[in-house]
Amino acid sequence: MKSNRFQLIILFLLFAGLSLSAQQKPLVFSTHWLPQAQFAGYYMAQEKGYYKDAGLDVIIKHPPANLNAINYLQDGSADIVSLFLITALDARLHDFDLVNIAQMSEHSAVVFVSFADGPVQTLKDFDNKKIGIWEGGFDESPKTMVKHHNLKVEWVPILSSVNLFLMKGIDLMTMMWYNEYNQLYLSGINPDELNTFSLSDYGFDIPEDGLYVKEATYQDRKAELQAFVEASLKGWQYANQNFDETIDIVLNKMRASKVSANEAHQRWMLSKILEFQGFSGDQEKKTQLMKVDFQKALEVLKENNTDLPATAKEITFETFYKPLLIE
Amino acid sequence: MNFKNIINTESLSFRILTRVLLITVSLFVLTLSIYYIYTRNLIREAARENAIQLAGNIAGKIAQQLQPMEKLPQMVSATIEMGLFDKDSLIVVLETILKRNPNIYGASIAFAPNIFPEKGLYFMPYAYRNNNEIISTFLGSADYEYFLMDWFQIPFMTKKPYWSEPYFDEGGGNALMTTYSVPFYYHTEQGRVQGGIATIDVDLQWLTDIVSEVTIFETGYAFVLSRNGMAITHPDRSMIMNESIFSNSENWEEPLLREIGRDLQQGNSSFSEYNLKNKVKRWIYYTPLDAGGLSLAVVYPDDEMFASLHKMNLILLALIIFGLILLNFTVVKIVNRLARPLVDIAKTAHKIAEGNFNAPLPEVKSRDEIRLLRNAFVNMQQELGAYVANLTATTAAKEKIESELRIARDIQLSMIPHSFPPFPELPQIDLFAELKSAKEVGGDLYDFFLIDKHQFCFAIGDVSGKGVPASLFMAVTRTLLRSIADKVKSPSGIMKLLNNSLAMNNESCMFVTFFLGVLDISTGELSYVNAGHNPPVIIPGDGAVKFLPLANGIPLGLQENYEYPQFSLSFKDGDKFFAYTDGVSEAENSQHQLFGEQAILDVLMQHKSDHPIALIKAMDAAISQHVSGFDQSDDITMLSIAFNHGSANGTPRNKP
Repeated sequence: MKSNRFQLIILFLLFAGLSLSAQQKPLVFSTHWLPQAQFAGYYMAQEKGYYKDAGLDVIIKHPPANLNAINYLQDGSADIVSLFLITALDARLHDFDLVNIAQMSEHSAVVFVSFADGPVQTLKDFDNKKIGIWEGGFDESPKTMVKHHNLKVEWVPILSSVNLFLMKGIDLMTMMWYNEYNQLYLSGINPDELNTFSLSDYGFDIPEDGLYVKEATYQDRKAELQAFVEASLKGWQYANQNFDETIDIVLNKMRASKVSANEAHQRWMLSKILEFQGFSGDQEKKTQLMKVDFQKALEVLKENNTDLPATAKEITFETFYKPLLIE
Repeated sequence: MNFKNIINTESLSFRILTRVLLITVSLFVLTLSIYYIYTRNLIREAARENAIQLAGNIAGKIAQQLQPMEKLPQMVSATIEMGLFDKDSLIVVLETILKRNPNIYGASIAFAPNIFPEKGLYFMPYAYRNNNEIISTFLGSADYEYFLMDWFQIPFMTKKPYWSEPYFDEGGGNALMTTYSVPFYYHTEQGRVQGGIATIDVDLQWLTDIVSEVTIFETGYAFVLSRNGMAITHPDRSMIMNESIFSNSENWEEPLLREIGRDLQQGNSSFSEYNLKNKVKRWIYYTPLDAGGLSLAVVYPDDEMFASLHKMNLILLALIIFGLILLNFTVVKIVNRLARPLVDIAKTAHKIAEGNFNAPLPEVKSRDEIRLLRNAFVNMQQELGAYVANLTATTAAKEKIESELRIARDIQLSMIPHSFPPFPELPQIDLFAELKSAKEVGGDLYDFFLIDKHQFCFAIGDVSGKGVPASLFMAVTRTLLRSIADKVKSPSGIMKLLNNSLAMNNESCMFVTFFLGVLDISTGELSYVNAGHNPPVIIPGDGAVKFLPLANGIPLGLQENYEYPQFSLSFKDGDKFFAYTDGVSEAENSQHQLFGEQAILDVLMQHKSDHPIALIKAMDAAISQHVSGFDQSDDITMLSIAFNHGSANGTPRNKP
């Protein structure tokens, strides 16, 4: 009889816990692109129950290709978004009150690519060439880099595919090392048939993916956000240690979202993303935004934006970066 | 044929079998290999030709659909450039195109930004099908910036017609579509400028249908690839628009596939092989299609392609194994049948060797080498039988002779005195003699007897030759000696008569060397005669041994009336006398060294004080040591006398 009573108490406690978490407001996280290995760590944190273990009810959503995730933050349909540093800082300069709570990527993955048998062999050859560049953002640092070298180029906006480059409609194209560059490879182009110009090699190594929330959310749900960052990091660690399993989960996620899912490409992407996020080697992963990177990004943005509001001047590293993890 | 015979590695059948099998198996392996390689190449070549034809047919069907479609936007472009259409009537043109071409899903004329300032940034009349209706609309907005789309941007910038990479169109019921875009020029106030792009959208369902119809063997198939290597059709639907030939090259870790993809992009056709992830081999023929920026590949599973060959190989292998077993049995049987008479002949040979000369030999009906061998054995058997019969008779005769000889020997030995001491009542004389014949019967002799009370006669002789004739001659000599000594007392007289008697009628020219002495035991006076015999040795009680001084004389029986000179000598008390035949002095060892007279003297000197028996035994021992086992070739006879004059007064003499 005694043990029965004990079991009843346990059951009661369990139900009490469940109803508690059920009452909690869900935490909505939006990535800044369609499902792909770039966000594997968050999928794994959810898949492995790390969010649940932290007492969080996390919903992961993806914006459609033609929508910037920042909109979700703006209209309140997401609490946390993943954004490029430069995108987020640009929004902040334009009076959007978001703050960085964790910097995930440590380096720039942006690269200019040209055909090795084409006219562009060195940076000097960029002059008077047509360069494909993303239409929906991320274009600030490549543009600043070209400007810094006093090169006159024709920027050709590109929506998403590398086909215009493949058909040689343009001379150069900005690409993500973990994404479009490998799409070229998977379209039959060998690495030795390409010239690459990495932004990080030309003084524009501005890190990319970071986690952003509204200033107000940061103030109100600090504990939850901290738990989210910690659980997400665990998810990334798991992805790093269980590569094949992670790839399977990513591919399933992509198929469920009716996004073209290619294993070879996602493998490349995950391995590169892990590298850019500093998971290579035994070093502990950090989520720190370096002040020097912040300043570099700020410089680039100020150079590209001549019509910044007066409030932009007030932005400092400390007001922009609100780290949740003590490292 | 038992099991032991089969595995006996030394047997004839095993040796023949191993050699025959070695050659046969080598030939089979060679033949089968050549057959396999040749047939494999033949099948591969047939598959290649089949693939080319098949791909040609499919490509033809696809081109038949796509090529006429290409004409439409080309004509639209040309017409727009000529300024034949008013911009507001373009929708009607597009609707007409759709009405006339049921295979076309949609058509548009997308103008470059701001071509018609009054229309704004975007101007894109578009007609498309919705169920059975044709709907027309104008596209282009901030949400749909069509000039950033591949189908617009690529032909616009490259200034070349362009078949887009296929895509799933959400508006068109999520059907797989491709768009053919043709750039056109337009005459504005600024002159001739790039006006935009005329397009048609093509639903690729019919393409999937055409390609899906193809089946090759059990699981072979055909599929279509886009310009980027993406699978447009594939029996595995999860591949479509997800995997490209290049990503599968990564997934399956098969670099060949990437090479095939790149070759295809170069516009080449080829028949080559690659492996799936599980190392299953596939043959692929690929060729570019003339339209749509597409390529076609037909895939032949290797195992199915060569299934008939592998089946044939199995049948051949089974036949070969069966044939080899049959060959094995046949060879063993034939060889064993041929070799069986040999075994029987060998058995008979064993019986013959054991003495059964009449053991029957096996019948051999064949007229081969084995028959020759059998005949040789029959002949040998007969010859052996005859020989052995002859040998048996000879042996019996020989045994008879030997038996007679043994009797003769006994008789001969009984003729000479052989009990010692011979005269126990005469203490003055100690005597011992020994005769050892080299053969059953010999030609040596010795004799001694008392002529009267004081005269002691002794003799030693050696007949020429050996064996029976010598022994007979010896018997005659001894008999004559006794009878003559009865009448004549002097040694020379005895000798003369003996010589005459022997020489008379001596047709066989035999002779005998002979020494004869008569000792007066009262005085010790010795008279002696020698007829060609070895000189005896005198062993004085004091002083050195020496040969008796004498005249040699000729042996008895050679010349009648020969006068033999007589000598005399006086024996002192303790003197000894030793006579011998040449069997002693000429005793040979294996190196043909003679015992020699010096050795006789040495032995006698060493044993001069010994009793005659000991003396002769010592001489025997010395001779034995000298010849050391070498066969005795001549009779050996020794005679020794010791004179004990002092014992004449009745002092008893101890027996040796």
